[in-house]
Amino acid sequence: MTAVADREVRRLLRWYPRSWRVRYGEEFAELLRADIDERPADLRRTADVIRNGLLARLTAAGLSGHELAPEEQIRAGLATAACALIVFAAFGMAMLAQLATGWQRASAGSATTAAGTVGMAAAVTILGAAGLAAAVPVCWQLAAAARRRDRRFAVPVSLVLGCAALLIIGTRHFQNAWPGTGGMGPEHHLVPGGLAAFGWASTLSVSSYWAHPALLGRFPAAELAWMALSPAGWIGLGTGLVMVTRRLDLASSQVLRYLSHLAALATAAAALFLACASAWLLDHGAASGEAFRPGLVDAGELVAMALSLIAAVRAASGIWHGLLALPSPRRRPSAQIPL
Amino acid sequence: MGPVTDAPRSTGAGRDASLGTFGRYAGPATLILSSLAEGPKHGYALTKDVEQFAGVRLAPGTLYEALSRLEGQGLIEAVASTDRRRPYQLTAAGAQALREQLARERRVADVGLRRLAKGWGSA
Repeated sequence: MTAVADREVRRLLRWYPRSWRVRYGEEFAELLRADIDERPADLRRTADVIRNGLLARLTAAGLSGHELAPEEQIRAGLATAACALIVFAAFGMAMLAQLATGWQRASAGSATTAAGTVGMAAAVTILGAAGLAAAVPVCWQLAAAARRRDRRFAVPVSLVLGCAALLIIGTRHFQNAWPGTGGMGPEHHLVPGGLAAFGWASTLSVSSYWAHPALLGRFPAAELAWMALSPAGWIGLGTGLVMVTRRLDLASSQVLRYLSHLAALATAAAALFLACASAWLLDHGAASGEAFRPGLVDAGELVAMALSLIAAVRAASGIWHGLLALPSPRRRPSAQIPL
Repeated sequence: MGPVTDAPRSTGAGRDASLGTFGRYAGPATLILSSLAEGPKHGYALTKDVEQFAGVRLAPGTLYEALSRLEGQGLIEAVASTDRRRPYQLTAAGAQALREQLARERRVADVGLRRLAKGWGSA
């Protein structure tokens, strides 16, 4: 066995998720070594391993039709749905912040854009409420884990808290520059001004300015640094939440069902948001006011949200399959009437 | 030798023990089950055996995806081994699933051969 072949085996194994490598890695490596000995250079083998490795990753994320054990399928689906919906929410907030700015200064000028904007605000409210409702049993479990001095959650919880703190502190600092500040009055508040400013500041990095370096160069250095740093906060927040979800002890089928229903509700809200955002984009030009006119960056946001929604729907479908396969909760034996 | 205690990717208990849900891995799964019907084999031995009796070389990634699905459905099980090449053996559910799959394939082959003989004559 040459060092080159050994390196090739290690390289190919990396296509598979860690859980798969723990179970099959050693024996699969042996098979790969034998195969490489027989046929040292084989592109079909590489393509086959890559394809199946990616499939194993999708399975581990609860995204393939190949089901895991029910509890694992639900856990993986919940983690993936949470991650996909956070990505969706980040782009959605960027889009809604722009529209809320326009709403603050003028009427939409088009019934489609007005209805779409209100629909997007409603969908974000549902998404946020679902997120808060999901946090209740999760926080309960984290508190129980802390009482048991269970250290499994130390890293992911620190990551979530650290990134949330970064996003809140940074956003609080920059939200004063929100373009909607000094608008027309309370009747023009589509969402509370503070929330709109928060959404705008936390998603400053989602901007078409990246395509215009000359304009970007005029920004204050601190704002530029925030635009570069805040995506790391979002990524860290999503990663931490996925890690927490995957480590949760979801032994209670009632909690599993509760979280699964919330995931379905949040996915439906994301679909509503996407439909409203699409209606706004298709209404291009009919609306009045610069902030209501969609641009290329909005189309890009829509594509990113559509991809996130596809992942969330696939995860929700996997969760549903897992729920159906879960044994029914024990029921008390009913009193039998003697015949 | 007895089954090892590693938890498979999913529990086969209570599931429909057939290859109907295997999609494009149904073919490799049938070949693997047919090979294991002879006795336990590890990955490399499976590849060689399938190549010999079916003329098909199962690529490593495809082989292990099919193996993990079969194990997940409880149709095969890993056998304890000190070797790094872990052997697999057929379970009773796997034997039943193979019997049903081969019977289905035989029915298709019989119909095809009968129609060929009727329309095209015997070779």
